[in-house]
Amino acid sequence: MNKSFNIAALVDDLEPVKPMRQNVPLVFLAVITVAVTSLVIWTQGMRADVLAGRPDEMFLIRAGVLLLLGGATAYAVTSMASPAVGRSQNGWQMALAAAAVFPLAAIVVASTGDIGPAMSAMESGIRCMSYSLIAAVATAAPMVVWLRKGAPSSPERAGWLTGVASGGLGAFAYNLHCPFNNVVYIGLWYSLSIIICAVVGRMIVPRLIKW
Amino acid sequence: MIAREETMRDLMRLSQAGDKQAYAVLLEQTGRWLARFFSQKIAADAVDDLVQETLISLHRKRASYDPSRPFLPWLAAIARYRWVDRLRQTYRHAADELQDQHSEESHEDVVGAKISIDNLLHQLPQAQALAIRLVKIDGLSIAEACIKCGQSEPLVKVNIHRGLKKLAMLIESE
Repeated sequence: MNKSFNIAALVDDLEPVKPMRQNVPLVFLAVITVAVTSLVIWTQGMRADVLAGRPDEMFLIRAGVLLLLGGATAYAVTSMASPAVGRSQNGWQMALAAAAVFPLAAIVVASTGDIGPAMSAMESGIRCMSYSLIAAVATAAPMVVWLRKGAPSSPERAGWLTGVASGGLGAFAYNLHCPFNNVVYIGLWYSLSIIICAVVGRMIVPRLIKW
Repeated sequence: MIAREETMRDLMRLSQAGDKQAYAVLLEQTGRWLARFFSQKIAADAVDDLVQETLISLHRKRASYDPSRPFLPWLAAIARYRWVDRLRQTYRHAADELQDQHSEESHEDVVGAKISIDNLLHQLPQAQALAIRLVKIDGLSIAEACIKCGQSEPLVKVNIHRGLKKLAMLIESE
């Protein structure tokens, strides 16, 4: 190894750096999620039951699961910027398992023949998905910027997880407007939007964060 | 001299603050550590290049080290990433065949053993690890590897492809 040359060049180039702190992107992400949610409420309006101060149970469960999924996965994504052997972030797996209850329940209910408004309200479903995807792009931005700055050692996994996190938070933003409480509707349209985000994340993010 | 975790962590902290003297020592120590780390995991003539690439990565990504955490697991993750990246590059481009050479140096300290590349290979199914070892580390051709491991040519290729993909996912595992 031409050690002297390389080491001297690197030493010459040394500038002080501020160690990356994970709370920075998480604060940004929280602010963007609040902003996007506010924008959805401002342009589309808030659910009537939430406005009346008596939210439906299904809405509360859905909102909680989406927030948990988005938050836990975003935490894992931002951790990936500072790699370390033996440091595992598995919280997102539990959150994903919890979120998987919705599509599973939807399959069970749909198999009984009761699909509710899932297909009849397809237009709403597509709108729900579109808004969620747009909101997801906004929430993905700080995570991608953070990963680019850091040293993610599993770019493909980071891509998947960025998609899931942004999809979860994007769906959460739209969920404050979405008037539907039917489990088949939620299992279909919300799951679809998160799956699409995950696939898009897997396809695009690794190229953006390669180092 | 074998670098200690505490010493290297302190040197890295000072380096992040811009201390050039500490940084020079850190790079020197890290270079030695990496040379041991990569020995027997890649052809001997490729070790120096890989060490340099990893040192440059350390330099570019030094802000990603969290000084409240141990240094060697961070360095090992960077080193594993560069190693897998190198294996993938040679796989993709069918580059020069690597030669089978063994280093006499086999020392690994406790931390090093825990985060060694062998640990990574052991987490792969045996057929995948064997195909990668024969073709990417020992430098055999696909045909030679087929004879040695008894797998068909397509199977060796599939095992290398799947194995490298899995290695990339396992970089931060123990």
